[in-house]
Amino acid sequence: MKLKDYLIERLPFLLLNLVIFIIIVGMMELININRYFILLIFFIWFVPILTYISIEFIKRKTLFTEVNNILDHLDKKFLLPEIMKKPEDIEGKFLYDVLRRTNKDMHEHVKNYRDRENEYREYIETWVHEIKTPIASTRLIIENNPNNITRNINDEIKKIEEYIEQVLYYSRSNNVSKDYIIKEVSLSALVKTVIKRNSRDFISKGIKIDMESVKGTVYSDAKWLEFIVNQLIGNATKYNQKSDGRVTIYTISNENNTILTIEDNGIGIIDKDINRVFEKGFTGDNGRKYGKSTGLGLYLCKKLAEQLGLGITLTSEAGEGTKVSIIFPLGKVNLIK
Amino acid sequence: MTKIIIIEDTETIREELKTFLIRYGYEVVALTNFEDISNDTLKENPDLILLDINLPVMDGYYICREIRRKSDVPIIVVTSRDNEMDELMSMNLGADDFITKPFNTQILLARIESIMRRIHGANNRDTIAYHDLKLNLANGSVTYKENTAELTKNELKILSCLIKNQGKIVSRDDLMDFMWNADIFVDDNNLSVNVTRLRKKLDSVGMKENIETRRGLGYILP
Repeated sequence: MKLKDYLIERLPFLLLNLVIFIIIVGMMELININRYFILLIFFIWFVPILTYISIEFIKRKTLFTEVNNILDHLDKKFLLPEIMKKPEDIEGKFLYDVLRRTNKDMHEHVKNYRDRENEYREYIETWVHEIKTPIASTRLIIENNPNNITRNINDEIKKIEEYIEQVLYYSRSNNVSKDYIIKEVSLSALVKTVIKRNSRDFISKGIKIDMESVKGTVYSDAKWLEFIVNQLIGNATKYNQKSDGRVTIYTISNENNTILTIEDNGIGIIDKDINRVFEKGFTGDNGRKYGKSTGLGLYLCKKLAEQLGLGITLTSEAGEGTKVSIIFPLGKVNLIK
Repeated sequence: MTKIIIIEDTETIREELKTFLIRYGYEVVALTNFEDISNDTLKENPDLILLDINLPVMDGYYICREIRRKSDVPIIVVTSRDNEMDELMSMNLGADDFITKPFNTQILLARIESIMRRIHGANNRDTIAYHDLKLNLANGSVTYKENTAELTKNELKILSCLIKNQGKIVSRDDLMDFMWNADIFVDDNNLSVNVTRLRKKLDSVGMKENIETRRGLGYILP
């Protein structure tokens, strides 16, 4: 609040006083009252008014600065009424109460949405859990009746499973912290598991795999990590049409991090698209050409990686291949060892 | 013969799993009454239990604890709940292994075999036989009558897969799947080379009924 603004607001009051004072002075002049006496009246009249206005200004200024300070330092601004001192003047009290009431209403409104979202998420989780039973049955039926038709059905079922997994991780992606368990994860075991999950694609497309130099362990959540690596290896095989297709996976251990890199010699990503690959729903040129792209895979990878405190980078050259790295910072747990 | 009890309330899974395990040479009993699972199970005196967590009367955790109180029989928990807490809980209650639905049947078989091996030490499952040919899975050697040859890891896997499916054609894709499941990421050319080498080794020990190629279909040990 600036002094000028404050004075402008008080201007009508001051002017009114001045006008009345001038009228009275005029009348006093007419009946020849002593000038000193008039000056005295001026002081008696205006000193209290000006003092009052100044004190008011200081009081307001302090209040406003305080509120602004709190607001600046507050992470969740809507908590202001809980933290600020209740003002003492009527106007302040009134606004304070209004603030509390609107806030309360807003909380209820937001809670309503939060409950709905939680309910929806719980429903999705139950659904994912339930659909696994018929899928498991189907897989067993296929296994017990091996022929070319069931083999094809099996491949499709596997795709369905991947999509279902994506649903589950998408619904969980906003609060990873609720169900992760950090423990030591062997990168080579993890990569092997994922390669096995994608074995059909590797075998049917004749893509060679080189993962000999994957070494070491990291501290993270095995399931989330498996999901991320699965998306990346899935992409590496999906966007690979070459007859000598190849996926190379390796780790580099640095002083303060471990980097897991997945490199393919597939179709690559054109320059125009490369900065947007982690955006939600972005499918780009490759998505248009090869279809079957949801634009969610890399988005989820990035989001989950961030929640797990991991870095993820992507470089690519159209026609040459793509290279994605997951960066595991070495936490204190590792350093103590 | 290893006797496995399946405790699973979804009928399709129960029946198909039973068929599947019988096909791989296990004796299988599937419970259909879930009122008194732990006693019914122990009465059967099984060698291994496949236990679902979601059961109609009492949940799998309870059953697991009940059985553990009276017996040390190996238990593999099978569930569609895919989270670490369930896994921890099962292990704490004394389960020997944990596998999530929808499971890879080859992995399920491998887990069953490895538990049985652990429990019975070096039992007869360490060697598998085809006519007069004996394959020792532990040290990777084949013996035919008096002659012995050492196999590489890849050859061992190929031969064991063919012996397990003897009399049936195993397609190249299935063979590759089998090997990939065992962490051997071979490609098409590698597989051909390995099969050729394996044939030569079987030849060298004097085995006459060698691996046959069925063009366009796969390989077979007749």
